[in-house]
Amino acid sequence: MERILIFFGKLISVVSSATNLGAGATWPGEIALRLDPDILTPLSQKVRKGIILVAGTNGKTTTTLMLKTILERQGDSVIHNGSGANLLNGIVSSFIQHASWTGTIEADWGVFEVDENSLPIVIKSIKSIKLKVVIVLLNLFRDQLDRYGEVDVIAEKWRKLKFDCLIANADDPLIAEIARKAIKNVTFFGLDDPSQYMEKMEHATDSTFCPRCGTRLTYKGIYYSHIGDWSCPKCKNKRPALDISTWDYPLPGLYNRYNTLAAVATAKTVGIADQNIKQALQNFSPAFGRQEEFTVDGKKVKIFLSKNPAGFNESLRTVIQLDAKQILFVLNDRIPDGRDVSWIWDVDFEMLPENINIFVSGDRAYDAALRLKYAGIRDIRVINDIREAVQNDLYILPTYSAMLDVRKILTGKKIL
Amino acid sequence: MKIIIGWLYPDLMSTYGDRGNIICLTKRCQWRDIDVQAKNLTPESSNKDFTDCDIIIGGGAQDRQQGIVIADLLKRKKELAAMLEDGKVGLFVCGSPQLLGHYYETADQKKLPGLGIFDMATHSGFGKPRLIGNLVAKTDLGVIVGFENHSGRTYLGNVKPFGKVLTGFGNNGQDKTEGAWYKNCLATYSHGPLLPKNPHIADWLITKALEQKYHHSITLEKLDDSLEWQAHQFIVNNR
Repeated sequence: MERILIFFGKLISVVSSATNLGAGATWPGEIALRLDPDILTPLSQKVRKGIILVAGTNGKTTTTLMLKTILERQGDSVIHNGSGANLLNGIVSSFIQHASWTGTIEADWGVFEVDENSLPIVIKSIKSIKLKVVIVLLNLFRDQLDRYGEVDVIAEKWRKLKFDCLIANADDPLIAEIARKAIKNVTFFGLDDPSQYMEKMEHATDSTFCPRCGTRLTYKGIYYSHIGDWSCPKCKNKRPALDISTWDYPLPGLYNRYNTLAAVATAKTVGIADQNIKQALQNFSPAFGRQEEFTVDGKKVKIFLSKNPAGFNESLRTVIQLDAKQILFVLNDRIPDGRDVSWIWDVDFEMLPENINIFVSGDRAYDAALRLKYAGIRDIRVINDIREAVQNDLYILPTYSAMLDVRKILTGKKIL
Repeated sequence: MKIIIGWLYPDLMSTYGDRGNIICLTKRCQWRDIDVQAKNLTPESSNKDFTDCDIIIGGGAQDRQQGIVIADLLKRKKELAAMLEDGKVGLFVCGSPQLLGHYYETADQKKLPGLGIFDMATHSGFGKPRLIGNLVAKTDLGVIVGFENHSGRTYLGNVKPFGKVLTGFGNNGQDKTEGAWYKNCLATYSHGPLLPKNPHIADWLITKALEQKYHHSITLEKLDDSLEWQAHQFIVNNR
């Protein structure tokens, strides 16, 4: 049965890309799922070594790409949803795309980023397989509340999950608590670097209360948002002991340290030697739109996807450290971005130094400009054509659909 | 002249960029050389900390946090009721208006008591769709634009609505009423940063607060609000 569905799915994939309909990353899987809602179960059985699922608000795409890079370097073949289609239909689609026309799937690993809300159904679909299933939990921040619901709602769903092998962020109190309650042998990653502590807490923090007793947490230090070395003054709950806390990081930005630690901890768990991991990550090139760099008219342009307050603050901090002279913010409010742009008021734009040229664009450019005005920035240029901003080396901070548009305009390609 | 803005429970009730209202009021005072102080009101604050404020701002909370908030507010019920009856200026957005009514039911149908200052009640939206989207309403202070995202359905008793829904759902998605207006307090389901795109409402709050405090009529200095109105108009045009 699944061979027929694979053939059918591949056909849809070819037709949709030939006719330029787009959405080739989700439609083959969507149709296969409508014909057989349980198709992921037999598909995932065909993978030889194991399945790795990465979930969390920020860092999924980069972490899975690192894992794919490491595994491929060992000579293994990997099925991966690299285009970021991370619902059930996207994962099924990546199996279909990887399969041959006769329905044969040759792969050692499946490495998938999974949407926060889809994690339960994806785990349920693959849990019957005998293979190793590794789950990586990165973090939980407020993100697209109109679509995903509030952080507590997602945490509640995750609390009910069953795990066998779990890699989790010890520095995120909610993630640490969910992991610790779920199984005994969690591999915890986190930072142990007081030189990176923030001077004061960011505004957009979600989990500053003890996930066990509700008391306000105290922090030895905060790395960003609510991520740090935490403890509860009342019930003595505290950050779990770290299994890994340092590595040779291939990308700038504190959040990429976490992505790297998550990928490395996972690679070690599946038996890859440190030295091999190091070699594989040495020349790691970022995922599309994530610190991706290219040259336009002789100018260097770097894109930092920035889609929620925690991620946005980290992008801002990183481009300021990189001494940005020109920044373009592109704010859209389409379905993939979330229709609600209220969250920009939770971003700490006040940290922007004075000597930077600021441009804004996108569907909601005026909202972005207004936010910047109230952050004390005087000279804000609202532009329709983003190419106007490419007069000098430029850092672009777009929301998700804006990032695709920016890539399309500057490189001719939306995704890969 | 000096204004003190009190922000209700920022680390419990700040879900959708609620800080925008505080930033907006603060800046609009500073740009006019009005002395302004924003202070956080928390469970640790005294009743005097509450009554010292000239404007009270309430935001949105998740259900769990809203429970903690109402427990603390009920302890100060007498003082808060007297304060608002006396004409204290307030803006309550998103979930915080629910706290002012007789009672409200959470998404999982738990009934919690409210302060009973506004004659209204909020019923659970259990089993019904969440009310999500851009919200445009006509009020006596002018048109307001915002974004709503709530499951609760609020029904007004003997309190007047803040406005009439032009686009969106408002209090309950049925009777076209949006928010509530009692004395100098405005309540609206438009959540988070209501004021930046509605500078007329921000200035109304500042004017009222100064008049209450200094007992004479106030005319605020005009500001260049062209960007504010462009952002406002974008929502009106695309509704």
